[in-house]
Amino acid sequence: MARMKFICDAERCIECNGCVTACKNEHEVPWGVNRRRVVTLNDGVPGEKSISVACMHCSDAPCMAVCPVNCFYRTDEGVVLHDKDVCIGCGYCSYACPFGAPQFPSQGTFGMRGKMDKCTFCAGGPEANGSQAEFEKYGRNRLAEGKLPACAEMCSTKALLAGDGDVVADIFRSRVVQRGKGAEVWGWGTAYGSKQAGQPPVQATEGAKP
Amino acid sequence: QAPASPAVTPSPPAVVAAPVIAGIQSQSIFEVKPDASQDSGYASQTNAERAQVQPGNNAPMWRQVGQGVTGYSSLPKTQAPEAGNLIQPFVQYPGSRLTNAGEAWRQVRNQWIIPYGAALLGIVVLALSIFYFAKGTMGHEHPDTGRRIERFTPFERAAHWANAFAFIALALSGIVMAFGKFFLLPLMGSALFGWLTFALKNVHNFMGPLFAVSLLVIIVTFVKDNIANRADFVWLSKAGGMLGGHDQVPSHRFNAGEKGLFWWGVTIPGIVVVGTGLVLDKLIPGVGELRGQMQIAHMLHAALAIWMMALVLGHIYMGTVGMRGAYKAMKTGYVSEGWAQEHHALWAEDVRTGKIPAQRSGPVAVSPDAGRTAQV
Amino acid sequence: MLLTKKTSSAAPVSGASPFVHSLRRGLAQALPTMDRRAFLRRSGLGVGVGLAATQLTLVKKSNAAEGAKVAVGSSKIEVRRTVCTHCSVGCAVDAVVENGVWVRQEPVFDSPINLGAHCAKGASLREHGHGEYRLRYPMKLVNGKYERISWDVALNEISAKMLELRKASGPDSLYVVGSSKHNNEQAYLLRKWMSFWGSNNCDHQARICHSTTVAGVANTWGYGAMTNSYNDMQNSKVALYIGSNAAEAHPVSMLHMLHAKETGCKMIVVDPRFTRTAAKADEYVRIRSGTDIPFLFGLLYHIFKNGWEDKKYLHDRVYGMEKVREEVLAKWTPDKVEEACGVPEAQVLKVATILNANRPGTIVWCMGQTQHSIGNAIVRASCLLQLALGNVGKSGGGTNIFRGHDNVQGATDVGPNPDSLPGYYGLAEGAWKHFAKAWGVDFEWIKGRYASPAMMTKSGITVSRWIDGVLEKNELIDQDSNLRGVFFWGHAPNSQTRGLEMKRAMDKLDLLVVVDPYPSATAAMAAMPGKPEDLNPNRAVYLLPAATQFETSGSCTASNRSLQWREKVIEPLWESRTDHMIMYQFAQKLGFDKELIKNVKLHKVKGMDEPVVEDILREINQSLWTIGYTGQSPERLKAHMKNMHVFDVKTLKAKGGKDPETGYDFAGDYFGLPWPCYGTPELKHPGSPNLYDTSKHVMDGGGNFRANFGVERDGQTLLAEDGSHSLGADITTGYPEFDHVLLKKLGWWDDLTAAEKTAAEGKNWKTDMSGGIQRVVMKVHGCHPFGNAKARAVVWNFPDPIPQHREPLYGTRPDMVAKYPTHDDKKAFWRLPTLYKSIQDKNVADKVYEKFPLILTSGRLVEYEGGGEETRSNPWLAELQQEAFVEINPKAAADRGIRNGERVWLSSPTGARLNVQALVTERVGPDTVWMPFHFSGRWQGVDMLAHYPKGAAPIVRGEAVNTATTYGYDSVTMMQETKTTVCNIEKA
Ligand SMILES: Nc1nc2c(c(=O)[nH]1)N[C@H]1C(S)=C(S)[C@@H](COP(=O)(O)OP(=O)(O)OC[C@H]3O[C@@H](n4cnc5c(=O)[nH]c(N)nc54)[C@H](O)[C@@H]3O)O[C@H]1N2
Ligand SMILES: Nc1nc2c(c(=O)[nH]1)N[C@H]1C(S)=C(S)[C@@H](COP(=O)(O)OP(=O)(O)OC[C@H]3O[C@@H](n4cnc5c(=O)[nH]c(N)nc54)[C@H](O)[C@@H]3O)O[C@H]1N2
Ligand code: HEM
Ligand code: HEM
Ligand code: SF4
Ligand code: SF4
Ligand code: SF4
Ligand code: SF4
Ligand code: SF4
Ligand SMILES: [Mo]
Repeated sequence: MARMKFICDAERCIECNGCVTACKNEHEVPWGVNRRRVVTLNDGVPGEKSISVACMHCSDAPCMAVCPVNCFYRTDEGVVLHDKDVCIGCGYCSYACPFGAPQFPSQGTFGMRGKMDKCTFCAGGPEANGSQAEFEKYGRNRLAEGKLPACAEMCSTKALLAGDGDVVADIFRSRVVQRGKGAEVWGWGTAYGSKQAGQPPVQATEGAKP
Repeated sequence: QAPASPAVTPSPPAVVAAPVIAGIQSQSIFEVKPDASQDSGYASQTNAERAQVQPGNNAPMWRQVGQGVTGYSSLPKTQAPEAGNLIQPFVQYPGSRLTNAGEAWRQVRNQWIIPYGAALLGIVVLALSIFYFAKGTMGHEHPDTGRRIERFTPFERAAHWANAFAFIALALSGIVMAFGKFFLLPLMGSALFGWLTFALKNVHNFMGPLFAVSLLVIIVTFVKDNIANRADFVWLSKAGGMLGGHDQVPSHRFNAGEKGLFWWGVTIPGIVVVGTGLVLDKLIPGVGELRGQMQIAHMLHAALAIWMMALVLGHIYMGTVGMRGAYKAMKTGYVSEGWAQEHHALWAEDVRTGKIPAQRSGPVAVSPDAGRTAQV
Repeated sequence: MLLTKKTSSAAPVSGASPFVHSLRRGLAQALPTMDRRAFLRRSGLGVGVGLAATQLTLVKKSNAAEGAKVAVGSSKIEVRRTVCTHCSVGCAVDAVVENGVWVRQEPVFDSPINLGAHCAKGASLREHGHGEYRLRYPMKLVNGKYERISWDVALNEISAKMLELRKASGPDSLYVVGSSKHNNEQAYLLRKWMSFWGSNNCDHQARICHSTTVAGVANTWGYGAMTNSYNDMQNSKVALYIGSNAAEAHPVSMLHMLHAKETGCKMIVVDPRFTRTAAKADEYVRIRSGTDIPFLFGLLYHIFKNGWEDKKYLHDRVYGMEKVREEVLAKWTPDKVEEACGVPEAQVLKVATILNANRPGTIVWCMGQTQHSIGNAIVRASCLLQLALGNVGKSGGGTNIFRGHDNVQGATDVGPNPDSLPGYYGLAEGAWKHFAKAWGVDFEWIKGRYASPAMMTKSGITVSRWIDGVLEKNELIDQDSNLRGVFFWGHAPNSQTRGLEMKRAMDKLDLLVVVDPYPSATAAMAAMPGKPEDLNPNRAVYLLPAATQFETSGSCTASNRSLQWREKVIEPLWESRTDHMIMYQFAQKLGFDKELIKNVKLHKVKGMDEPVVEDILREINQSLWTIGYTGQSPERLKAHMKNMHVFDVKTLKAKGGKDPETGYDFAGDYFGLPWPCYGTPELKHPGSPNLYDTSKHVMDGGGNFRANFGVERDGQTLLAEDGSHSLGADITTGYPEFDHVLLKKLGWWDDLTAAEKTAAEGKNWKTDMSGGIQRVVMKVHGCHPFGNAKARAVVWNFPDPIPQHREPLYGTRPDMVAKYPTHDDKKAFWRLPTLYKSIQDKNVADKVYEKFPLILTSGRLVEYEGGGEETRSNPWLAELQQEAFVEINPKAAADRGIRNGERVWLSSPTGARLNVQALVTERVGPDTVWMPFHFSGRWQGVDMLAHYPKGAAPIVRGEAVNTATTYGYDSVTMMQETKTTVCNIEKA
């Protein structure tokens, strides 16, 4: 079975927010909920890099581990989904998630966060594939339609890759070889446990390796 | 330098070196400047500086990311304060590894608070059962003969019961939130359990403020009689009568055990639990926007809440089946002289000498079960 | 504890595993970067739409137009192909429409232009189909509030008022601000409409966008357009972006550039601001705003000095470069360059070295070069650099001028320009006669519509100056009456400079009509109380709801000159009507409807007559020979749109294939038949992917520089040298443009058919309506109809034949003004007195630079477009940018005690004071501040919400930078100076 993953190629991402609005459009996501967002580091100075981030569908997902009602589940393709009927909106997943993926429709007081919402890898939720109920709660189920996530499909520079982890890694690897740089796969260490990122901060004494 | 001789034409300026275009032609990690890393300050270079000497090496930037640096996001800070953060920064909470904050919090909660909290509560319940099995209900019956002493005014009782009610609601809902998925979920199935927990979570959210107010009242009302004095050391040294004879150790209105509960089981953790609970509820302006704050609030809240539950379990035991007559005192407000003498000799003494009036509430206070007007 | 509750392949229809296999399969053949397209296509639409058809009925419908509610289950699902309306990249979109409601948007992986990619604006297009914040019905301003009226009332009242103005003050008292948002057919019809009204007082966005480019570049080598394409940039070895922030303004173009980078292209960005584009560059150069000429000539200095110029190319194909060389070597020594633009010699040399070592190289420019009072000179300096390097007319080279609006190229080519009829025919009598014939009307009748024959051939007022047409003293303007009525027909007010004066001009008008789906910026500005003494008591203000481009069909021309056909996605929402329907309905009231649609049939839309768009395009095909808008018949364009997959991404060329419906053979065609696509559609010219490319046969889109400036100058030939010609041409020397005389002289006349001969007699390649001359010259003899000449390094008919650096009117460097002063004032320039020196001198004398020590420049944010009323009404975009802001350097901020995120007052010499948020960033240098220009709805600190028509205010409102911008216009085209002015900033 394929294992779905995201890669955002920081050498390509131009912070155009195409992925962000593609997601909003496809899933009718309300104002205030950002399943995907774009972050720019070193903004306005040389070395500036932008990265688009959503739920990474982690291998050992922290959100899943802390949810008090166990409403998360994982599909065969490694997509981490949750059941809004069960979710109590406690917010624990958002404390645990390294990437800030879980979102809450109202930021109101009394802890009334509403049901959590996050990127579904465009794979809907527990309801029947393509059903009205699924759409209303989770947005469209593109995977079931044989399509890839809307955000990646519409990415203006194809910086954002989504799909079978092996396939997207291949694409990315060939780019890296071509340009001879930009090999870092953002977030994979943290999300999928590879040795590339998400390690404790490198101390300043350590020489930087390419 | 040799003195310039007028006969010699000034030496031509050094031939313009072929323009140096490093840094742009070699945007490749395979063509890095081999000695770039010898530079002093190499390790503290910014990403821009690094790009000059080692094009394509973005280590400084990835290091920043790893350290949880917050970048720019066009979403307004007021609406999405952490949108600019890619990965939560690394921290080490007590009991966790040094890892990103979300993971650290998860470790504390899932590896410490939940299992050990459950264990603690389990042990307390077990211990109290054994205790009850071994000792049964303690204390003597005191027929309603002599003078009745008003131990708790109606106000005090109202505060206590409101507080107790809120606490229990919070505790039960909290327990379901913390542990429900281990014992209730398998029984009920996810849909029902989700529904129940959602309801209880809202109970928890709304009961919190009630608890906060009643707790405040409790603290104010009882603080005077919970200040430690010499008798408490005696009481403690005899472990409240558990050691040695079966006689109770004389105490003032509250004995050292009760005082201990008051301070370490109610007041101090209570304030923290209330405070952190209000943070988790997003009721305290300016705090709780950031996940880091929530994580700390949550850990304190959950740990101390469980601690309170453990102690209050003991208290409830003592206030009900553990100690004869105690419950009635809180139910009716009155105790017999005999009970007072047995359990709080020094207090009974003060009442007798009139230092403390036997009836503190209004003149028409009614003793509900006795049905007659109390004497002043 | 990883529980697996559900497999997404549970449902039998799930594409999960075949989908993944197709991913793998696709990739096996795919190239590493771009050709994700191949496998995405496989897993994308093919399966998707099939599935969509079975599933969409279950999907929630957007609550769009009232009355569009339909029972679930009885639905009809269609996919309509359209093109994003937000910029000139021209990204294709598939709109999924269910029972007339636009329910979904799918990427078009087949499009060779965007391969399914979109920026934020394109990915959120579907919101237009909701139209929640749009104007729903016609409205009229009554006592400061907008009130609903019917279309009939609106049309009657407005046309009555127009006729009244015409009677009292002549046709030139009306001004129509047209739109680059209109499709080609509407833009063309509007120019015709205006001609039949009898005035040249019409214009559109191109004036304030790329007019300087169009004039400068056309006068250098022929056509004023982007020479190559976004796709062709994949062939570049180096790309110099100077005055373009493509990552925000043309995001999908970066798809091609970043791919090129991966295959070794070097990228250089020259900009006063460290932009998102600069972040992707190998080399970033910061210059002072307005000093592109010193920098470009600084490069040329090193190129000439080291002999890096392409000498053979210059000899064969360029006139006058020696003069430039002399001037550059004498005047632009490195010290002068550094003094003027602030770039040290080493960096200039470095850039020159890279340009020399990597050929072909391309140059990209945009508003950073054009929007200056010397814009025409700056863009020519860029052309000179490319000519010197021999980069023009080559794949991978060229001047890639990224155009602005989705159809600004088309509207420039065929639309409402004040100085020309469609197709750059100009306004001379010959041009009018050509069009009288094309339109099937009597030349004398048109003449009679004008105030006088003189006014017929005199260029009208420009959109940048319409306010002066209202405010200027009558005796100083070069037409009878001042402007009294203005139509804003798809144009925002906050995109023109001098906002404070615009408010006064709006108040003085007799008639203001706004025809726009989102007319609210103009509406609010007009309704807002101004100075009582300015207000014309008889003023009438109307708002008419126009349909968007998704509610009509038609063609639009992307920046690379490719035409794309939009299918109609939905019916016009609410009470809106399409622009061409509105034009026709006005014509009916004004009495020239018959003439307007002589060659055009009508059909019914929502029960009303609307001119058929295809027929208008056919009329364009039959008249615009100059720029080759003749081959792009509706049938060819539609076939291209339906079969995008046959076109190669790098070359845009069809690999072959036939349209399954019509059998049309694509072989040899370039996608969208990029103009010039000469001859009749039957000639099957394939379009021209790269202009002036001699390596290709003319019938394969090849070409050479245009012979448009005579054949000789000062004893030197202007025609190309022997041996320099497009591939396979029968004439191997330079030659002039073709007309009947030349044809006869060459003995080619008899290649014409008898019918063609009749039509071509007395005509040239531009006016022969049979297309015979073009056919014979190209197809039979492989020659270029417009001749084969040299590019002009010296444009002798411009104020500065060799580009000269001149300081802006409002600047912070009086020392530089002394050395590089501006032009002298002009008296009647586009009908208006135009000031240069008197203002600049006064500013220096008044020490304006002391009170306003910061350079103010402005530009774009990726989320918003233009004046922004459309995009700020789109919640998906609005959420991403909620505050107008000004970027200010930490040093400048610290000097003023300003911290990031604080409110500040930005004041300008006009007296305007803007209240905005400070974004403290090193993106700008300490002497410069930058503001996005997309905001409106706040006026000098006050919210204008109360003045908006009810329900039609955008979600995000903010202070418009153009409320504060100052006077200053290009000396050729009247381009407004928006990129360099001055301001001061204080903590609020
Ligand atoms: N998102 C978005 N995209 C758009 C549009 C939009 O409104 N929004 N509009 C479309 C239109 S109409 C157009 S015309 C294009 C415009 O596209 P661009 O011209 O690329 O966009 P701008 O941001 O106006 O200006 C480009 C850059 O010019 C720089 N600049 C300012 N002064 C100077 C100077 O003196 N010299 C140089 N070299 N650079 C200077 C600015 O810092 C800015 O970064 O974008 C099109 N695309
Ligand atoms: N300070 C500063 N000012 C600038 C610039 C700058 O960089 N700095 N850039 C300049 C440039 S390059 C440009 S192009 C202009 C852009 O400025 P504008 O073109 O004035 O801005 P838009 O908001 O795109 O205006 C287009 C209008 O057309 C409407 N519209 C859309 N589709 C249709 C349609 O089908 N029919 C009709 N009738 N209307 C339609 C939209 O609702 C919108 O109101 O701004 C210029 N102004
Ligand atoms: C069902 C649950 C409870 C029962 C049956 C109960 C019973 C009692 C009784 C009988 C007393 C009187 C003891 C005496 O007379 O000395 C008492 C006192 C008290 N209880 Fe409770 N109680 C309960 C819950 C709680 C809870 C949840 C709290 C607080 C978190 C609490 C706080 C106190 C305090 C502060 C006193 C006064 C004693 C002191 O200050 O030391 N009780 N309770
Ligand atoms: C002012 C008082 C209190 C407030 C505002 C409050 C609020 C909260 C909140 C917001 C949560 C997080 C879950 C959620 O969002 O629903 C929570 C969890 C919890 N609370 Fe409270 N609470 C209060 C008092 C208490 C008390 C007194 C107890 C103990 C008896 C308690 C026990 C718990 C427990 C056990 C959890 C679950 C921890 C976990 O799942 O890890 N709370 N509380
Ligand atoms: S990214 Fe966050 S929400 Fe997504 S799976 Fe990982 S921990 Fe869960
Ligand atoms: S918010 Fe919902 S999904 Fe997240 S941890 Fe709480 S119950 Fe689980
Ligand atoms: S995968 Fe789908 S749900 Fe997730 S961010 Fe992308 S578009 Fe949104
Ligand atoms: S669409 Fe692509 S390039 Fe644009 S912000 Fe998203 S990931 Fe980056
Ligand atoms: S705005 Fe331009 S780049 Fe963005 S999707 Fe539309 S056409 Fe493409
Ligand atoms: Mo533009």
